[in-house]
Amino acid sequence: MKDKILIRMGDGERVTLSADEIKEDIRAGTQDAARRGRIPEMTAPEQEQLFEIMADPSRVVGVSPGEEVIVTDDGCSMSFYSGQDGGGVGVPMSRMQAILTYERACGADTTSMGHSDYSYKPVKPIINYEMNEYYNISMMTTAPFFYGAQPNLGLYYRPDGPCPNPAELLPAGKIKEARAAQEEACEHLKKDLVFVGKKLAGVGCEGLNFDTCGSAGDADFLAALLALRELRQEVPQMPIIMGSSGEFVIGMHGEVTFDGRRLAGMYPHEQVKVVEAAGACIYGMAVNTNTSESTAWNLARAVTFCKAAVEAADIPVHVNVGMGVGGVPMMEQPPVDSVSRVSKSLVQIGKADGL
Amino acid sequence: MSEKIFAAAAEAIEQGDADRAAQIAEQGLSQGINGMELLTKGFVAGINKVGDLFGEGRLFLPELMMSATAMQKVTDIINATFPAGKREARGRVLLGTVEGDLHDIGKTIVAALFKANGFEVKDLGRDVPAKRFIEEAEAFGAHIIGSSALLTTTMVVQKELEQELKKAGLKDKYKTMVGGAPVTQRWAGRIGADAYAEDAGEGVRKAMEMIKK
Repeated sequence: MKDKILIRMGDGERVTLSADEIKEDIRAGTQDAARRGRIPEMTAPEQEQLFEIMADPSRVVGVSPGEEVIVTDDGCSMSFYSGQDGGGVGVPMSRMQAILTYERACGADTTSMGHSDYSYKPVKPIINYEMNEYYNISMMTTAPFFYGAQPNLGLYYRPDGPCPNPAELLPAGKIKEARAAQEEACEHLKKDLVFVGKKLAGVGCEGLNFDTCGSAGDADFLAALLALRELRQEVPQMPIIMGSSGEFVIGMHGEVTFDGRRLAGMYPHEQVKVVEAAGACIYGMAVNTNTSESTAWNLARAVTFCKAAVEAADIPVHVNVGMGVGGVPMMEQPPVDSVSRVSKSLVQIGKADGL
Repeated sequence: MSEKIFAAAAEAIEQGDADRAAQIAEQGLSQGINGMELLTKGFVAGINKVGDLFGEGRLFLPELMMSATAMQKVTDIINATFPAGKREARGRVLLGTVEGDLHDIGKTIVAALFKANGFEVKDLGRDVPAKRFIEEAEAFGAHIIGSSALLTTTMVVQKELEQELKKAGLKDKYKTMVGGAPVTQRWAGRIGADAYAEDAGEGVRKAMEMIKK
């Protein structure tokens, strides 16, 4: 083994570290996750296994045959036609062409489409257009074809929406008012999620993705859970994925509950239980990447959280391995050396059901 | 006796109880405890713990805001006991989220902690162009300009701010601090910022060090 091993920092910068430094980062990373989530650390053999994956001299690594998992699409086809600011490559092609190219040329397990804003609220006024587009494309696809977007509660606050803005109320000490505004916005968001979900179910939607739930706090997460439960009753045939936005639910409100459980501060092994209770078919977990730490440190954390969530779950857990989450560096085009190491580690050590 | 007061002070801040914190500040001062010591060993210890718990998802934004409000109240009480020449805030800090970026929750928390630690803060909000940072810093008489960016596509405005400061011949007049999810110490070094802070607590600590210099 070489004295110096090439890895990356959380912002993608290439660095070389010694074997001892990487092992220390792995130890510190798993300890950090265990302390925060109050979950077990990775065992010594698991830490050694992660080190071997990090130290592999190959640029790209992968799991052994038979260990492959499903990859649920998270807007990959958008990367064809969106510009650099959207993390895309700006190829001039239609949505249908991009989705079919992704499915047929890239061998995708699942495909998806979404509105370019990627929030549910702007989909509402153009739902008939989206239904038509979804239907036409679904006639051409073979792999499961999802419709995805983010709940994005922030769009319901002034100046973008009807509710008072908690980001203005909280610093002014108006905590009661800020909480009331979030509860009001939560209700609007839930209605929109149900509306869009039911409409898409009407054209045979093969799966709905509530992506990056909780990005605007615990009330955002709650709206997705409530909508999920209602859709499960109304359109039970439509599978729904619910993914989180970070390793814990941010307590912007701090007191909202689902089935009597406070959502703020929930870590993945706790999130998966409420997502499951609401009726999701897949839980998508996210772990924040720290840009100042190495990928070894970040990945050790992600694997530790993943293991605990998978052990707690009764539904499949698919880990988000996009830019800046799951141990993947925060880069517009995540490097394949890191992404493949993240994928292999989460599947082999974290026992993730999918990515 | 002092230790008991320090512990009570920290606890009042952790509980976000502004009235209780103010009462403890008055009590400590009346017992002859040095104001600065009361602040740093008692109240600041409390707000630091609040910051740590918030970072771990064990305490939430409303509680953080209540603690910050309590901290500001006791800072005002203790500050008022210092001689006029020493009464000025620890320093003036101008904060904002850079142009093109609408994420300002984290920056709002940073502003609250700075205020809680005795800094005079002007928060420009979000979507702030580089040139406006400079205009406002001049008008405010800032010591530190802090810029936040949550996106890889907007962090370049932090570099633009450094360039604009140099162009205006003002680079040495202000200390600059950068923060935000994609921002790192290496980025700060590369663009010429004076400091990088990973979170609100580190921002306060580094600002204190820079002000001392």
